[in-house]
Amino acid sequence: MRKKVKFILILSVLVTLLSGCLGKTEINDLGIVMAVGLDKGEEEGSIKVTAQIVRPADARGSTGAPSGQTGEPIWSITASGDSIFEAMRHLGRHSSRRIYWAHNFAVVINEDLAKEGISDIIDFFTRNHQLRMQTLVAVTPDPASEVVSTMTGIEVIPGQAINDLFLFNSLTAAAPQSEIIDLQKTYLNESSQPVLARLSLNTHGISNKEPTSEPTIKQIELAGAGVFKNDKLVGTVKPEDTIGLLFFLENAKSAAVVTPCPDNPEQSMSVELKTANFQVTPTYNNNQVGFDTKLKAVVQLVEAGCPFSISDEKQVKQIEKQIEENLKGKIEKIVELAQKEYKSDFLELGETFKNRYPGEWKKIVANWEDEFTQATLNSKVEVKLTSAALLYLPTKPRNEEEVHR
Amino acid sequence: MKVQITNGMFMAIIINAVYAKAIGLTQGTMAREIGNDIWISTIIATLLSVLLIWSIVVIIKRFPSGDIMDQSKVLLGGWFSKFISLLLFFFFLCSYGVIMITYVYHLMDYFLPEAPAYIFIIIAFIVGCYGAYFGIEVIGRMALIGVFSVLALNILLMLGSLSKFDVYELLPTFQDGITSTIWASRHHVADWAMVAMTVAVILPYVRNPQEWTRSSTAGFLFGGTFIVMWPILEVGVLSSEVTGQYIVSCMQMARSAKIGQFIHRYEMIMIAFFAISILTQIMMCFLCASTVASKIFGLKDYRRMILPVALILSGFGFWIVYDHHRAMELLETAWVYVSLSIAIFITLLLLILGSFMKKKLETKNKENVEHGTGSNNNKKTSSSSGSGNSSNSGNAQTE
Repeated sequence: MRKKVKFILILSVLVTLLSGCLGKTEINDLGIVMAVGLDKGEEEGSIKVTAQIVRPADARGSTGAPSGQTGEPIWSITASGDSIFEAMRHLGRHSSRRIYWAHNFAVVINEDLAKEGISDIIDFFTRNHQLRMQTLVAVTPDPASEVVSTMTGIEVIPGQAINDLFLFNSLTAAAPQSEIIDLQKTYLNESSQPVLARLSLNTHGISNKEPTSEPTIKQIELAGAGVFKNDKLVGTVKPEDTIGLLFFLENAKSAAVVTPCPDNPEQSMSVELKTANFQVTPTYNNNQVGFDTKLKAVVQLVEAGCPFSISDEKQVKQIEKQIEENLKGKIEKIVELAQKEYKSDFLELGETFKNRYPGEWKKIVANWEDEFTQATLNSKVEVKLTSAALLYLPTKPRNEEEVHR
Repeated sequence: MKVQITNGMFMAIIINAVYAKAIGLTQGTMAREIGNDIWISTIIATLLSVLLIWSIVVIIKRFPSGDIMDQSKVLLGGWFSKFISLLLFFFFLCSYGVIMITYVYHLMDYFLPEAPAYIFIIIAFIVGCYGAYFGIEVIGRMALIGVFSVLALNILLMLGSLSKFDVYELLPTFQDGITSTIWASRHHVADWAMVAMTVAVILPYVRNPQEWTRSSTAGFLFGGTFIVMWPILEVGVLSSEVTGQYIVSCMQMARSAKIGQFIHRYEMIMIAFFAISILTQIMMCFLCASTVASKIFGLKDYRRMILPVALILSGFGFWIVYDHHRAMELLETAWVYVSLSIAIFITLLLLILGSFMKKKLETKNKENVEHGTGSNNNKKTSSSSGSGNSSNSGNAQTE
């Protein structure tokens, strides 16, 4: 009897403890994907999936030298199929390791594919248990297969380099930080439309082994945003206009704004946004939807192509006015793009209206697209230039008179 | 010899018995129905459920030496008690199906998709039988650890989600009207009904009857507070549309959590905390179902019923989780009707019968106290009793 009890006890403990080993795969059997590229396949209706897979032996950190001897920390493979899942399974035909998606940093979609619709992509990447909600999603005018196969950035793994591009996107204000969760949220929303970051390949890198006067190495860069209507890409926002988009969706703090010198328009000055408080207030007067935007920004002068001192109040006022006009222009430009050019509420103005006027929203929701395109915009920008960084006096040669004074 | 548990353990059992399902599956179900207002609905459900638990405490206080089935026997005789026991067994059978949906879909769908469903059922069977065999005191202690796990899980999730939290997602409130929001709370009241019926079975084992109302109310309010954080974060981080997309919406939250740049993908830690809570719930369900089954067959020791009851519950649980569609049918429709109708019917019936037959209950209770057969007569408390010899079978005075 005791033996039986012991046997059952041991069996129970083993079943409980070892259940976590079910379906286990050794780490050296896994092909860990770092970035995925999605393009149109050669055959009509097919899709091409490119996976950037890390080669662990050659992707060591600073403590270990590469031992794989291939010189390539990644291995990129591509396969086509009638669906994303089928194409991914086809990747397994030429991968010696099991493809593992849980550590994927980025999903890059070619714009030609995005124009035909990405509902299947949204579904797949939100349905699969391996894929994360915080994976970055971007569109690209270049072949996505090329984007994910390009060695870019200072990181050993280019997928991580793409991810890290977005870490400081508020500094450059050149693209929104669009993650799967954001894409899913806006796609499912009754009024908002998705907007994704845009990546492009450009020759910015200079070879250190064979330096040239012109860059020769392609690098991935943030290149604005892709605007969607339902699940189809309908247009893009240029990087220089993206700051206006970020006011609505994220935070454009630390972005740089360049403006001409007040006394010498041929020279320019640069200011950095230290704080940016942006508010959208919806209005509904005489059955007319409207939005009042108010931006309060504190900026710091970081570069002056002409003499400037923070003590020169007249010059400070003039610069503040110029920056206000500049930022107001960016806000109006992005709203105009949304209303007139793309007719897509990617600025989530419908959500803002719904929060303020839930009763009225029910009446206009069915006709929101028309209401949105006809909505009025009243934007106000208030800029305060409070610092010129470390310098107090203008950067210019002192003449004798000034020195004695 | 019967064992008693402290009021703290009792509160911990209440919290664990509702938490696991309420944070994820219930919120997904409610989000599909009322969108943004799931957090309001959760609060309404908790407040409504306090009325249910107060009624149960009133019923048991009339006859503190026995549980709800013993009281039924005193009120209208053996067959009535068996009828109530049968209803309760059906209730716990369905509730076990719901618990299994919560437990299996969390672990299988997100962590071990290649593991067969029966493995999870077997593990629940082993752990549940172990807990039920050693009785309420062991489960009570486990529940205390479960509360710390719940707290740790909530803190970890909050730290990882607040950076993405947008309070405007919670607006506008009462989008589908106040009536719809209250009506949607039935899903969460059904979760609380599971606790109410558990309390109807275990309350006589709780020390200090004068503290019952206070500790059960506190258990409900603490449990409600731990739970309501989830719908607020789910709506504020994921949005109600995304929450409604998933069967286990809380796992989407856990998978999205990230503390700073470097601490992410820590859902394995969170699921370990979650598992302690749900395993406590499984043990509690086995204990209650076995106790109820022993009353149907007139047995003195509920432990003789653990194995057959566990087999029935596990078989049903496997059948339910095997098909996701079937599981969702039970979860969103059948379970709500079964849970609410049985819980409210039994509570109202005994509340009314008891109010007419107060004297009979008092007399019988006095007899039990004099003969030392009631569970409350035992002075031995959880802090001093060994769990191994605690034969806390159904209240012997009615056997």
